[in-house]
Amino acid sequence: MSTTRRHFLQAATTGGALAGAAGFSLLSHVLTPLLSGPDDGFASFQPPDSSETDDATHVLNRLSFGPRPGDRAELLRLGTRGWIQQQLQPETIDDAWTDARTRHFESLNVWPMGELLEYNAKELLDQLTRARILRAVHSRRQLHEVMVDFWSDHFNIDPSKGDSKWLKPADDKTVIRAHAMGNFRELLKASALSPSMLWYLDGRVNRRASGTDKPNENYARELLELHTLGVDGGYTQQDVMEVARCLTGWTVRARDKARFAVGKVEFAADLHDDGAKTVLGTAIPAGLGEGDLERVLDLVCQHPATARYLAGKLCRRFIAEQPVGTVVQAVADTFTATSGDIKKTLQTLFDSTEFMAARGGKVKRPFHFVVSTLRATGARSDAGPVLQDYLLRMGHAPFQYPTPDGYPEEAQPWMATLLWRWKFALEFSGPGLKGTRVDPAWLTASAGGPARLAAHFLGRRPTPAESNALVASGQSLGLLIASPAFQTF
Amino acid sequence: MLTTFINQQQDPAGTLVVIFLRGGADGLNMIVPYGDDGYYRARPGIGIRRENLLDLDGFFGLNPNLAALHPWWKAGQLSITHCAGSEDETRSHFEAQDFMEHGGLAAGGWLGRFLRVRPDAGQSPLTAVAIGPQLPECLRGAPSCAAIQSLEDFGLGDQVPAGFLPQLAALYKSAPGVLGPAGQSALAALERINALTRTPYQPANAADYGTEDFSSGLRQVVRLIKGRVGLQAATVDLGGWDSHITSSVIMDTPMQRLSRGLHAFATDLGTEELARTSIVVMTEFGRRVAENSALGTDHGRGSVMFQLGGGQPGGGKVHATWPDLTNSPLAGPGDLPVHHNYRDLLAPILRRQSPAVDLTKVFPGYSLVA
Repeated sequence: MSTTRRHFLQAATTGGALAGAAGFSLLSHVLTPLLSGPDDGFASFQPPDSSETDDATHVLNRLSFGPRPGDRAELLRLGTRGWIQQQLQPETIDDAWTDARTRHFESLNVWPMGELLEYNAKELLDQLTRARILRAVHSRRQLHEVMVDFWSDHFNIDPSKGDSKWLKPADDKTVIRAHAMGNFRELLKASALSPSMLWYLDGRVNRRASGTDKPNENYARELLELHTLGVDGGYTQQDVMEVARCLTGWTVRARDKARFAVGKVEFAADLHDDGAKTVLGTAIPAGLGEGDLERVLDLVCQHPATARYLAGKLCRRFIAEQPVGTVVQAVADTFTATSGDIKKTLQTLFDSTEFMAARGGKVKRPFHFVVSTLRATGARSDAGPVLQDYLLRMGHAPFQYPTPDGYPEEAQPWMATLLWRWKFALEFSGPGLKGTRVDPAWLTASAGGPARLAAHFLGRRPTPAESNALVASGQSLGLLIASPAFQTF
Repeated sequence: MLTTFINQQQDPAGTLVVIFLRGGADGLNMIVPYGDDGYYRARPGIGIRRENLLDLDGFFGLNPNLAALHPWWKAGQLSITHCAGSEDETRSHFEAQDFMEHGGLAAGGWLGRFLRVRPDAGQSPLTAVAIGPQLPECLRGAPSCAAIQSLEDFGLGDQVPAGFLPQLAALYKSAPGVLGPAGQSALAALERINALTRTPYQPANAADYGTEDFSSGLRQVVRLIKGRVGLQAATVDLGGWDSHITSSVIMDTPMQRLSRGLHAFATDLGTEELARTSIVVMTEFGRRVAENSALGTDHGRGSVMFQLGGGQPGGGKVHATWPDLTNSPLAGPGDLPVHHNYRDLLAPILRRQSPAVDLTKVFPGYSLVA
């Protein structure tokens, strides 16, 4: 493995967190007065004061990674509907502070893509992970971050396969983040031609049949099963094979073969099967070349099963594990009517009575749990090895899910992570996590006392039993974070 | 379900322990084909003489540094596969380990995927541990896994206020939905870990681990297995096999560590527990058949894989499609060929651990032999 100058610089900054260019902003971060910052909102800390989860808390819980101290006051100022509208237009929300905090992750802004290959792959994964955590914690465009989380699972890529190690940062930026609240058809096309995806699901080696060499069906199958129609979407094995034929010939310049423009996606007409095909009952004439891709994307995006499948997934994320059929159909109808406009689809979901009525009852996945802890406490973290290790132990480190179905959304697969959550809660609020700082005394004082702080975590006033437990535990912040109520949203 | 997993007296499925010999272990000098003259012709300086070997089957003999494994062989608990390895031909430590641990050009590690796709995935608070400072690539993607140096890493630490756990238990007792039982299960696991760490460990059956890191790591694994915390898999690495020069000086010590550790581990587990614990020993590649001018061997292809315990049907045998080292074509520059893909050796073990597991998801893009 050749050592380039950037390699060397990257290695240096990994070794010493405060060295080099990346270290500069970390250093300024350390020098920033503890727990102060334009986004913390301690000045307007307004915990809930009813005995049940109110509208404001519910909406904050579902559309964000959990409320920060000042979030509730801001939502009440805008009104529930107003705040949702704002979140649905992330481009109108000033997020310069978050951008500044993640700007030092140099690799995430590298262009052209081939430059990424000069980085150490472990360093890339670390930067990608840190940026993901810090954006989820600090971004004011919370719904956008929640959707980034959603689509990262929907179009899951484990970059540990082949050149994906170097290409995933570009996928994160130009596929997932760029289209998270845009149009599904555009998102899908970006994903289909993402070099990282072409590596992960073998699209790059999918070529027309020749001798015993058959087209590689891997991407075609997941495109139908996971990305669009869903496993019960009514396609057949024949459809998978026909879609695979349509997508033959898309290649990526590989690191070990190409000297220039590594990572570039190219259509090789000689590897493409240009014969006639039939996909989902529709004929695709011979001779369309790379145009086959557009035809396939149109067919799958316009298929009613795709609208239902995506609506079902969105409803399971934002409403309940088993949402009623009527709301799923309403969301699917908007998806179809707007040709896959993600904002408008979400708008229908948030406007539904089912959404507003579904209080609590969903269990936070570990990433959500960790991020909501940092948000609730106004903690500052480097999102470094200690925090990432906890996510690994809980089996939910970003970009580390091996199979294309993405981390599960339902609660059951995460039920074995409680022990680690408790350990995290105790270490976080007691001795402290290396690289993460929180000031419990100041937090309590800002909230206006222990009862109000408890309400901030529980989303409602604590019951007398809970209040007694907090005192008797000897570690009230730890108990709040470890409590069953804080595991749900 | 979750609670039964932790409350049963036995972990229902048993535990898989993966030992990776890092550096490319020379299978030919571990399990010696003394019946093949070609071996002695290719290794006049470093070949292990017939009279020093412990005979296995009239053709293969065990290196004396592995003598502690001989009783397990005779008891039918140990099987050996020769000419084992992967299809990676780079002969690069990094590439070959990466390939083997990922299970080919695949995302995540084969063990991580196995733990993720088995039907009872994620039901144990302590699904998998890696003994050592970091997770090996094979465990990537596991539903829950931790790299630990000692069992104490699992507890809540010694600074927990006395009132904390009782109050936490009370909150979870009245928690609605799935959280209630899950909380009880986590508390039970915690109680077991605390019990394990409170009392000094006394190995059973006079097992003697010594003080080596490798043995100590295996001892931690035994404690977890006996502690019934739901452990499904553990990994332990043993390095130091890269014998380019003076073969025996390099290899004798790791071989002694390996055999002593495995002997103590199996002894401590006892017959019943060993039947439910599968131990697999693997390495990224073997060495060149012929010795080099420094009385060592260079990077090659096929090596050996061991399987200990686990109620295996093929114990007490050396499985090999043996090439005649004089007349058969060797691989590349003169290496023992790979006749047995490591995935085909892992497959039956994984099926015993989790009969319903879909192995096409564990080894994507590979067609298992049987």
